[in-house]
Amino acid sequence: MNYTSEAPPLLEVRELKTYFRSDGGIVKAVDGVSFTVDAGETVAIVGESGSGKSVTALSVLRLIPNPPGEIVSGQIRFAGTDLLELSEPEARKIRGDRIAMIFQEPMTSLNPSLTIGRQVGEPIEIHRKSLAKVVREKCVDLLQKVRIPDPERRVSSFPHEFSGGMRQRAMIAMGLACEPELIIADEPTTALDVTVQAQVLDLLKELTRESQAALVLITHDLGVVARYADRVNVMYAGKIVETGTARDIYNDPRHPYTLGLMNSVPKLNNGEKAPLEPIEGQPPDLSNMPPGCSFEPRCPYSTEHCRSEQPELSLISGKHAFACWVNVKDVS
Amino acid sequence: MLKMSADPLLSVEDLRVEFPISSGVLGSGTAGTVKAVDGVSFNLISGETLGVVGESGCGKTTTGLAILRMLGIAGGKIVFDGKDITNLTRGQMRPIRKKMQMVYQDPFGALDPRMRVRDIIGEPLIAHAEAKEKAKYRARIEELLDIVGLDARMGERYPHEFSGGQRQRIGIARALALNPKLIICDEPVSALDVSIQAQIINLLESLQKKLGLTYIFIAHDLSVVQHISDRVMVMYLGKVVEIASHTELYKNPKHPYTQALLSAVPTPSPDAEAQREVVLLEGEVPSPLNPPKGCPFHPRCPVARPECSVKAPEVVVDSVGHQVSCHLFS
Repeated sequence: MNYTSEAPPLLEVRELKTYFRSDGGIVKAVDGVSFTVDAGETVAIVGESGSGKSVTALSVLRLIPNPPGEIVSGQIRFAGTDLLELSEPEARKIRGDRIAMIFQEPMTSLNPSLTIGRQVGEPIEIHRKSLAKVVREKCVDLLQKVRIPDPERRVSSFPHEFSGGMRQRAMIAMGLACEPELIIADEPTTALDVTVQAQVLDLLKELTRESQAALVLITHDLGVVARYADRVNVMYAGKIVETGTARDIYNDPRHPYTLGLMNSVPKLNNGEKAPLEPIEGQPPDLSNMPPGCSFEPRCPYSTEHCRSEQPELSLISGKHAFACWVNVKDVS
Repeated sequence: MLKMSADPLLSVEDLRVEFPISSGVLGSGTAGTVKAVDGVSFNLISGETLGVVGESGCGKTTTGLAILRMLGIAGGKIVFDGKDITNLTRGQMRPIRKKMQMVYQDPFGALDPRMRVRDIIGEPLIAHAEAKEKAKYRARIEELLDIVGLDARMGERYPHEFSGGQRQRIGIARALALNPKLIICDEPVSALDVSIQAQIINLLESLQKKLGLTYIFIAHDLSVVQHISDRVMVMYLGKVVEIASHTELYKNPKHPYTQALLSAVPTPSPDAEAQREVVLLEGEVPSPLNPPKGCPFHPRCPVARPECSVKAPEVVVDSVGHQVSCHLFS
């Protein structure tokens, strides 16, 4: 796919810093993250728990609870406007309308006491101020679109009458309700079985392609990223450590953390067993970060320089950039 | 038949576990039974790892709990270490439980938050009266901590001071306390991040070599199971659909469900993904309350034939011990 970046990107996050205050000090959950998303593109944010991927997503939607959280600095430009400069009512107008979010747990993110129709139709009700009858018709269409069987009847069902896969489909229907330009899906299939995961992700990809919406896919699953993403941002301890097209990242990983992730995953290849090479140690404490590179304590290639100074992202080709003082290619 | 070089450590024959469904306001009546495990048979040779895969509700955890006799059994036979344990009483099971242990999925829920780690690990020793001398008891706990890669001083701490991976190491140390022969690992890495997951898998593999352990490794992640197992058993709606060695299962999956499962797992390579044909299954696993007649997989099966909805397929085993239950092969 070719994205000539003549036009400004749909979403541009620049030097985003989101911190949380805790008893143990300031937790730098997101610490200087920059990335862009073009219209119609699927961009993945990969990382492990605590790497700041969900906080990045919530920051874009301005859903960081304050206190304890706060977007300390940065810019989030969406279609020309800086979301961080909007008032709360202005932000609310965009949220659920032009930017939609699909949450991780379909079990807890649906209200158990409201019908599926009420919830799927809520964005239309709020943003389009449509009549109840129109909302209901639109809901039936949406449920049909996400392939929920018998939508006329299902629109009046309650979440507990749906299986996990159907609930996640309903969540997707809700996200698509106002035909958003940008959909952020936070681990949309983590709670689902593999065969259902494949159904739901294929559906999500197909529907975003149809409506030309951009998709930000947040996940920890490297396989899912390989199948669905055009571009990938790898996050570690609140920073993007490597970014590039999916092929850049998988065929030519440059950051030792990306490399470590790739070697940690058991692969379904010809059935022969290759020993796993885990990344030793634990992620750093976000309230007490090392002065240099945050991956240095676990890094097999670390040098004196890594301990004293933080590396910045530097471009090596096209869209491929990584933040590391060492060139892994030279060492290994 | 499977090649039997030695007597199996564990042999399970036609195992059945049923749960009654209560009905009525007070739950007094019964509305039927869920056949959570429905005629599962397999053998386990000492020192091997049997992987059990399947989607939620297929009965893989229930099978594990039934083998440990932590659940009532509706039918079948379990022979462990040459002894029929199917109908043993609680008291008779006690000495046998020393030889079979479990590692649980959730490293946050499986450890008592109010106990020190050394007491958690030592509890099996005390429960089975194997901690007669204090010095020996202490030494054993230090040895166990060391074996799972934790510092001896960490025994003084409480579970909340540990990360997920470290807690899973504590759970493993506790399972090892009584020198078991068989460890049933129920989704031991599914709650962990990938980089930590690999640490725990490597630890389990090295422990197996060092201590001659036999594992039943239950997971829903096919690539993890494929990696750690010698043989893999695929379950669907309480039944075994296929058992084969890990290479055989990958190279030559026979059952349409196994094929779909393998194809649903995305591989971490965009080039491979771009070329791959994916067998997408329609629908979801049917309710075990009202399982389909005939082959339980037929409503979702892309190659179902008329007889599939009538008659349950028989178990067919080929010359390399690859076992499958599907009408395509009978």
